[in-house]
Amino acid sequence: MNFSFDVIWHNLPYLLAAARWTLLISVAGMAISIIWGVFLCAARISKNPLLSNLAALYISFFRGVPLLVQLLMAYYMLPYVGLDLPAIAAAILAVGLCSAAYTAEILRGALQAIPAGQTEAAHALGIPAFSLWKRILVPQAVRIGLPSLVNELILLVKVSSLASVVGIGELTRISQNITGQTYRPLEIYIAAAAIYFLINLVISGLGRLAEKRLQAG
Amino acid sequence: MKKKLIGFAAVVGVSLGLAGAAHADQLADIKAKGKMTAATEMHYAPFDILVDGKYEGICHDLFTEVAKELGVEVEFLDLPWQSILPGLEAGKFDFVNAPVTITAERLKRYNFTLPIGNATVALAKKAGDGSISKPEDIAGKAVGSQKGSAQLEQLKAFSATLNPPADVREYVNIDEALADLAAGRIQAVANSMPLMGYAAVQRPGLFEMVMPPFGDPKYFGWVGTGGEESKTLIAAINDAILKMHEDGRLKAINEKWLGTAPELPTTMPDVK
Repeated sequence: MNFSFDVIWHNLPYLLAAARWTLLISVAGMAISIIWGVFLCAARISKNPLLSNLAALYISFFRGVPLLVQLLMAYYMLPYVGLDLPAIAAAILAVGLCSAAYTAEILRGALQAIPAGQTEAAHALGIPAFSLWKRILVPQAVRIGLPSLVNELILLVKVSSLASVVGIGELTRISQNITGQTYRPLEIYIAAAAIYFLINLVISGLGRLAEKRLQAG
Repeated sequence: MKKKLIGFAAVVGVSLGLAGAAHADQLADIKAKGKMTAATEMHYAPFDILVDGKYEGICHDLFTEVAKELGVEVEFLDLPWQSILPGLEAGKFDFVNAPVTITAERLKRYNFTLPIGNATVALAKKAGDGSISKPEDIAGKAVGSQKGSAQLEQLKAFSATLNPPADVREYVNIDEALADLAAGRIQAVANSMPLMGYAAVQRPGLFEMVMPPFGDPKYFGWVGTGGEESKTLIAAINDAILKMHEDGRLKAINEKWLGTAPELPTTMPDVK
């Protein structure tokens, strides 16, 4: 086996260009995951049974069906009901909506980890609900949930590779294509692995930074 | 609220209706737009490959000529094989310009063009492997092929005639089978002759062809949606293919990629 650095070097620009799709899907997916996840979590813990049950149903569907199947459904089945999404929109939505289900549960778990006595004490002291959430519950929940949240975001970067099934030339797909032409899987997949690793290194680094700041504050 | 629901139902109804109408005559639609979209898996050398980020290969060259004959611009789409036929049925693109082996089962569901490549099965072995010199030598050895491919069926049928039969392994794509051949996990890979030949030419110290090919002669064609709407498009593409048979473009493109030109029939082959 003659390992060829030239093959990596030559194809690196194409791998990096493909990594831009991976990044786009990941970052846009994360934004949807976090924003939609907060709403879902709020609905899930709401006292309104309709809202709470709907959120529970949503979460069990998006957690219970493989993301690959969700992607295929978003892209190939929605046209039958008149909703023809472009490939990149289908990929970002599928990844984001699925990840939001996990984010919602992470946040719910973190909120439940805060002793109920704090809420009771706040009520007894007459602290208004908004301040209770803003100053007491959310800061603690974020601190408790952060490691799991970073975990979820790293997973999201990795599942972005599934977007190839709707025709997006993201990092994994382009690596396969280059392998098909160069017949050098070892070199190309090592390069792809290194790029994924670097992206996730940045995310986990940002996560640690956030943890430190939250602990200090 | 009720009004809104009726409005939503109307929008869905209209878009479904439009989707239906848009497929009445694909050729007319494509010509009116001056543009068409064709999908393939750019992962099947030498038919479809991505070289330095650019789509190339036999199917690229042939279909670019076909589009010129049709007088339309063509946009090529790269999709994994498992998404290509569902995408065609969902109307995400107009046509499949991937080499698809013409089989009786597939003819029931899709409309094929005339043959554009030779899909007869041949074997590749590791370069210098003296234990395999003819196809029959794979008896009792591990042989890989691509899942869901017509070539896998041919390999299985051939293997059943051997004593002992070969140990047939199925891979999602053929590059993985070739990687396992290089790693020594299997002793041979079976796929269409052009594919195996190209691998041997690209990595001469690593892979070697085992001649002759075996099984029934098979051909690759391109695919349009089943039913009436693609009939005119397929007919126009067939005319272009026949024209390229005559003026030598078909031969020149094949020679450019394969070194030789396969004998391709100018009528639809009889498949059982």
